[in-house]
Amino acid sequence: MLKVTLRGLLAHKVRLIATGVAVILGVAFMAGTQVLTSSISSSFDKIFSDVYSSIDVVVRSSNEVETPFGSQRDRISDSAVPAVQAVSGVDAAEGEVFGQIRVLGRDNKPLVAAQGPPNFLLNWLTSPSLNGWNLTDGAAPNGPDEVVLDAKSARDGEFAVGDTISILAAQGVQQFRIVGVAKFGKLDTWGGAQAALFDTKTAQQLVGQPGTFDWISVSGDPGVSQTALTERVAAVIPPGTEAITGAEFTAENQDAFQKIIGIFNTFLLVFALIALFVGSFIIYNTFSIIVAQRTKELALLRALGASRRQVLTSVLLEAFAVGFVASIVGVGFGVLLAMGLNALMQSFGFSGPDTPIIIPASAVISSVLVGTMITLASAILPARRAASIAPIAAMRDVAVESTKTSKRRIVIGALLLVGGAIGLWFGLYGNSDSALQLVGFGAFLVFMGFTVIGPVIAAPMARVLGWPMARFGGVSSRIARENAMRNPKRTATTASALMIGVGLVGFISVTAQSLKVSLVEAINTSVTAQYVVTTDSFGATALPLSLAGQITALPEVKVAAAVGAGFANIDGKAKVVLGTDPAALQQVVTITDVSGSFADLSDSGVAIPKTLAADKHLSVGDTLAVSFLQGGPSELTIESVYDTRFPIQGPGYFINAQLFAQVTPPDQQTAQSIYVGLNDSSDAGIAEARGPLDQLIATVPGAKLQSVKEFTKAQTDQANQFLVIVYVLLALALIIAIIGVINTLLLSVYERTRELGLLRAVGMSRRQVRSSIRAESVIISLIGTIIGLGIGLVFGWALVQALYDEGITSFAVPWAQLVTIVIIAALAGVGAALYPARRAARLDVLRAISSE
Amino acid sequence: MPVPLRVPTPRLSDVNATQTTSPRPAITDAAARTVDACKVYGAGDTLVNALDHVTVEFERGKFTAIMGPSGSGKSTLMHCVAGLDTLTSGQIFIGDVDLSSLNERQLTRLRRDTIGFVFQSFNLVPTLTAAENITLPMDLAGTAPDSAWVDTIVSTVNLGDRLKHRPSELSGGQQQRVAVARALASKPSIVFADEPTGNLDSRSGGEILKFMRTAVDEFAQSIVMVTHDPVAASYADRVVFLADGRVVDEILDPTAEAVLERQLRFGV
Ligand SMILES: Nc1ncnc2c1ncn2[C@@H]1O[C@H](COP(=O)(O)OP(=O)(O)OP(=O)(O)O)[C@@H](O)[C@H]1O
Ligand SMILES: [Mg+2]
Repeated sequence: MLKVTLRGLLAHKVRLIATGVAVILGVAFMAGTQVLTSSISSSFDKIFSDVYSSIDVVVRSSNEVETPFGSQRDRISDSAVPAVQAVSGVDAAEGEVFGQIRVLGRDNKPLVAAQGPPNFLLNWLTSPSLNGWNLTDGAAPNGPDEVVLDAKSARDGEFAVGDTISILAAQGVQQFRIVGVAKFGKLDTWGGAQAALFDTKTAQQLVGQPGTFDWISVSGDPGVSQTALTERVAAVIPPGTEAITGAEFTAENQDAFQKIIGIFNTFLLVFALIALFVGSFIIYNTFSIIVAQRTKELALLRALGASRRQVLTSVLLEAFAVGFVASIVGVGFGVLLAMGLNALMQSFGFSGPDTPIIIPASAVISSVLVGTMITLASAILPARRAASIAPIAAMRDVAVESTKTSKRRIVIGALLLVGGAIGLWFGLYGNSDSALQLVGFGAFLVFMGFTVIGPVIAAPMARVLGWPMARFGGVSSRIARENAMRNPKRTATTASALMIGVGLVGFISVTAQSLKVSLVEAINTSVTAQYVVTTDSFGATALPLSLAGQITALPEVKVAAAVGAGFANIDGKAKVVLGTDPAALQQVVTITDVSGSFADLSDSGVAIPKTLAADKHLSVGDTLAVSFLQGGPSELTIESVYDTRFPIQGPGYFINAQLFAQVTPPDQQTAQSIYVGLNDSSDAGIAEARGPLDQLIATVPGAKLQSVKEFTKAQTDQANQFLVIVYVLLALALIIAIIGVINTLLLSVYERTRELGLLRAVGMSRRQVRSSIRAESVIISLIGTIIGLGIGLVFGWALVQALYDEGITSFAVPWAQLVTIVIIAALAGVGAALYPARRAARLDVLRAISSE
Repeated sequence: MPVPLRVPTPRLSDVNATQTTSPRPAITDAAARTVDACKVYGAGDTLVNALDHVTVEFERGKFTAIMGPSGSGKSTLMHCVAGLDTLTSGQIFIGDVDLSSLNERQLTRLRRDTIGFVFQSFNLVPTLTAAENITLPMDLAGTAPDSAWVDTIVSTVNLGDRLKHRPSELSGGQQQRVAVARALASKPSIVFADEPTGNLDSRSGGEILKFMRTAVDEFAQSIVMVTHDPVAASYADRVVFLADGRVVDEILDPTAEAVLERQLRFGV
């Protein structure tokens, strides 16, 4: 039987190409993702262990807020340093200052682009055992106007020792004199990040917190273990601080990064799995068709004494061989893909210096396993069908695939659909912790449900979709329509592959459109400002909150309000807390008081949105337990319940600017945007104000003045950029689906050799043959696309309903986009038919009519 | 159909004696004719002269049968005359048209508009109904079928109630009748049938043959049919015998007995 399998493989190698390609593409994506992300994370692991290699003990604040971006800690007072230095076994102990800056180039623009690697501020450590920097030129910084640059910054900015440069820090732009250029170990950068180094006092000044450190690094004498030293250090440090080993510190940093990379990895893997899922339809189809075409041969084997099990095993072995080989090839392509992407990312400066590609065994094993298992699983049904072929079939004419619409099919399909709907419902509206998984699983069930019901609806759909063609396109289109209907299972499976990809595209475009429309609506109905100042920087180098005051001081400006964002633990959970001048904000943004007064928020009060108040049964006068990074009150009174359509970051806890300044580190007192209301809001007034505003803003690198209209557009553009990435990732699934269409057509053409020969003999021209195959392809593609878009619309609608409270208040359908998708699908159908149609038209008529 | 297994007498001399050697006039009233048609398959050791200088005429309005042993070149001759295959040398005319002067597209059009086909089996497009199969060549041409004519044919082949059925719902005999109806429906100048009754029992076969006879007698249709069956051949006006790629004999107004006798005599 093994021989039969091998012969079968060789005989069908052409027919198995599409299966192989589908598996290869999916596995390559999967393996590539894993190789790339693990290469990046291992290179960052190395960076962190290099950067912190000399540290044996770290002393830091024990006051921590867990944010989605890793934990944030308070800075600690420098008074702890002498005590630590005095601990026996301590070789050196120095406070480190760590902050964000943007070094400006000669053109006064940031040297590192906003999407580029981070640009850090560090203090120059004086003890050789802790300082990893080596000066290649000049001297260490010493004084309020001296700076040392990393070699890359110096090279990129064409700076040399003695030059004067501008640096944007939390306190605004300042001038410095370059006194040195340094490498970190042998590297030009601080593990990929660019850095500017100052003496400790200057660094503290720049982050806005003199007398504090982010942490204290300790190096021990030789022979003293990190744990022993940590215990000794822990005994002398002040309350509110903690000591951990250097190894733990490194691991924490590595873990934080791994988490981010892990999210990225999961995000990509989801798309790889979608691609493989789509591929499974091609595998299923190919094996179904091969089994149908081999019915006589298999029946003969059965008649000659092969058992059912042997037939089953033979088909599954074939699937295993194809899946396994294709998966291995896929892993190979995946590694190449990872290398290519890595090189690309490095040329953009996204990852650390020379990330070596590492190929983790787990990536290879999991990819090969998944690829092989999916192939096997997809072949199980066809294999079982093969095994159930009766020996008598050898004597009969080749059986046509059964086309009866079985009740069982409808029942199973309906159950799957209902199951999917329930999963979606609970995922979207329930309070489950695994909402995302529920939604994903529900979507999977819905797709499977349609796949199962597909054969029932494929023929009627083909009839309807093919009607205009058959009506106006002549007999070749009529034949095409009949061909699309003659094997409803095959048509449905082929269309299903497309349905999934298109369904997801449709879902995302509907959701995105709703989001955009809601956002535009929200801004239009809530922002009463005339201008918005925005920035491409984040964190410390974003717009200083104080800029709002400077803007307000302009004679043209009536009011300017900025919203700063920080984190606090509220009722034990980390939440985004917004700081603003409430009265000013209320003048540029429509915020209505539901109860209490938003504008009169006091230092000990908090304002919450009405949805939150309803959810948590809170009202004015209630108190919330809070803890901020920098002390502050442990309790806030709800002083205002407000309502607004303004798109707010996080749940919407507002505190006033004074309290925000008190509880947030100075280098976090920044905003992404400042809303500006003018005294004269007429068009002329708006035009007049632009000049003075621009002039003021020019002093803040990265800042940009936008009219509310421009601001809205920029916001939706951002959403569009993300959409493009998602579409590109989904493209693979669509490409695989198109390969599936090509595959089905080719196999059908092969199967219909006789028939095509007959048609050619009685006078069908090559052109008519081609147009017939094309029309069939378009019908199949449209079936998949239309069901897919239908599903996408419903999914999108469900998600939008579920997100109503998050501010997606309008359900909007991008009709133009959907029509474009349908047109593209039809064109893709035409494209997919190119090769099969050519094959069909090229058939040798004589050979075709005499072939058995 | 009884075919003697043993070859009785030497036959080469007979063959030569009966072969038509006199040149035919260039312009005749033939529906189709070949001039010195040669078809060679393979080369060297495997070289086969499937057609060896065949010059033959198929008269207009007549029913011609082609007979000969297996491998004698009957199908090859038919395929070439019908424009499905090309000659190695020589000429073929359908009416006045020299097939060698036509390109692929023109040949297709010729097949569609002026030639009808009936094969031994698999004559019908499975996805089309009987009626659609019958009008297929006209539909391919984009011309409206002559519905009176189609009705005549359909009633003659006795298919009235089966027209809306798919081929899979028809018996073999019914399928062949549909095929013959299709071959005639576009009023082709000539119809070729390669063993159209080969897969049928004698009763169904008889019906097909009667129908073809009717088409010739009543509608002046020209038909060329390949057959192994002397009874089938007896429906024709003339039987042309092929052997080893050559025309070796012909009988006018054949009877089954005469054909059988001819076969027995030559073992073909
Ligand atoms: N494609 C081909 N390649 C090589 N030889 C061929 C080919 N087609 C036919 N032949 C040879 O040409 C000769 C004539 O074949 P043809 O099919 O015309 O015979 P036939 O008279 O129709 O026989 P049958 O009664 O069996 O149908 C045979 O010897 C055959 O082997
Ligand atoms: Mg033959």
